Amino acid sequence: MGLRRKRSEFFVNAVGLLITLGIAFFLVIILIFIFSDEPGKTIYYFLIGPFINKYYFGNMLNSAIPLIFTGLGIAVAFRSSMFNLGGEGQVYAGGLAATVVCLALPFAGALVGISLALLGAILAGGVIGGLSGFFKMKWDTEELISSFLISAALILIINYFITGILNDPNSNLLTTKPISDKFFFLNIFPPSRLNISIIFALLTAILVFFFMFYSKWGYEMRMCGLNREFCRYGGINTAKYIVIPMFLSGGLHGLAGSISILGTYHMCLKGFSGGMGWNGIAVALIARNNPLAVIPAAIFFAYLEAGAKAAMLHSDITFEIAAVVQSTIFYLITAQALYNVVRYRKRAEA
Amino acid sequence: MNNFESSIPLIHNSVNIMTPFLLAAIGGLFTELSGMLNIALEGLMLFGAFFSVVFTYYTGSLFFGVLLGITVTMALSLLFGSITLYLKANVFITGLATNLFASGFTVVLAFHLFGNKGVILFQNLPELPKLTIPLLQKLPLIGDFFINHNIFVYLSWLVVIAAYLVIYKTPFGMHVRGTGLNARAIKSLGLNPRKYQLSAILISGFTCGLAGAVLTLNLGAFIPNITSGRGWIALVVIYLGNRTPMGVLIASFVFGFAESFSNYAQRSINIPADFILAFPYLITVAALIIYSMWKHYRVEAR
Repeated sequence: MGLRRKRSEFFVNAVGLLITLGIAFFLVIILIFIFSDEPGKTIYYFLIGPFINKYYFGNMLNSAIPLIFTGLGIAVAFRSSMFNLGGEGQVYAGGLAATVVCLALPFAGALVGISLALLGAILAGGVIGGLSGFFKMKWDTEELISSFLISAALILIINYFITGILNDPNSNLLTTKPISDKFFFLNIFPPSRLNISIIFALLTAILVFFFMFYSKWGYEMRMCGLNREFCRYGGINTAKYIVIPMFLSGGLHGLAGSISILGTYHMCLKGFSGGMGWNGIAVALIARNNPLAVIPAAIFFAYLEAGAKAAMLHSDITFEIAAVVQSTIFYLITAQALYNVVRYRKRAEA
Repeated sequence: MNNFESSIPLIHNSVNIMTPFLLAAIGGLFTELSGMLNIALEGLMLFGAFFSVVFTYYTGSLFFGVLLGITVTMALSLLFGSITLYLKANVFITGLATNLFASGFTVVLAFHLFGNKGVILFQNLPELPKLTIPLLQKLPLIGDFFINHNIFVYLSWLVVIAAYLVIYKTPFGMHVRGTGLNARAIKSLGLNPRKYQLSAILISGFTCGLAGAVLTLNLGAFIPNITSGRGWIALVVIYLGNRTPMGVLIASFVFGFAESFSNYAQRSINIPADFILAFPYLITVAALIIYSMWKHYRVEAR
């Protein structure tokens, strides 16, 4: 019985997701017909673009890597019913922290340098996220708003450092100095930028899965997410599970930033992380906050962005069209009524 | 300064700066009272900002431009509201969707219409009429509230008064507040709580459309993401205003004052521009924390 119900829930979710994605793609095709002078070509590049050569394909997978981390970060927070809307700033801060560590340690060995850079990024993101959790625990400050505001302020302050004291005078880009090449992640799919960190991302997803579903902390966190009052009654330290999920969520976002620096950009470019935080939310929602499902969801999202980029390069549409598709997914992904339709259909058949 | 004399320029500027906050927060107040945290204010405002200036440009008329801008913004709020309420989606996620959609769609459309993704300057826009209220301007201290402001500023006062009357003096307002307090009680009266929530969202679409129009028509230009967090700040303004129209008015003035003060500070001391831009977010988050502390300890003291 239990298994059967579980399986039918899975079916409902899958069909609901397909409807959502179907509507999103339908809309984008309509928009392309409105806005593009050569809709056939645009649609071709939007849908097939990411697969036409090794370079595009590898880059698509590479841009899924940070989304896996941010998606995991959001999934951890959502499972504990905490809203972390500060992802954008946390990713950026993680990227800056990793860059600063690498620049500060030019003589460190590769392993030491990389470990410290990742650790610094986790701490930077974690403290920023944890701060919102702390305010929530202490004074019941709405974490949804505080995390967003803190992150928005941080983005501007980080911009100041990148274009100010950390700026590389020898570069025309608004960026810090490049990090030493011994800290670079190994490229595994040239000419694209896909690198070894994809394995790290997959391992992290598995780790988060086991943490959430097979550890005491993970269990208590999820239970607090389901019903905090009940957990308090049951003797769980619920205050702890306001701060910890926000810290972990921020830490995973920070990690996303550092991975992008070490693997892809090799320097902290102004605004390199734009969109990674918001997309993480979409990825987590598509994955229904399941850490393992985050992997395909992140790849799907990377595909959408890569398609929009290819369409922009080869045709006459702007990249922002991707945001329209993404928002359609956002609109419908939590729509219970959509899933109920599928549910009742199925019940009527049985 | 031209033909008018503002006794305290700092206050005069604060009044100008506060207007978009005030309008967005009044709309947000309705949704807040009906029991929803409306994080779509930002996106709705952005929609209003874009479409008001574009329609004003094409029609050549301020009135029709703003009217059409508000209509389109209300249409977006209708989409947001009906998906949230009738498809039973999570209001935070649909709010994010609205913000994301507005920031993407305005750029796509701007690129399509003007071939430009950056700042779009509009030539020959009709100028905003400026008014001075003859008697009130003589008042000490608050005289600056009534001298030589553009018409939107006075319109926003009217919106506040209207909001006060609707919220406290009409059955509709009572039902909206009732929905927020206890939706089941409203249902037991044979009323439909979703109807009141949808109306509240539409009202927020109206005021955010107006708030956006203030931004772009004042400037005569559209800048991508011109709202830059004002919708979020408006959310905090609602809390700080203790969820009443008059409180929202005072809280918006405080924010307007803080921002106008930071503009002055920038001119006298050499503070980097990025810090000045970060300042509104920082004071907002500080205000939010202080507010929640105050609320927390007040409850504890009871």
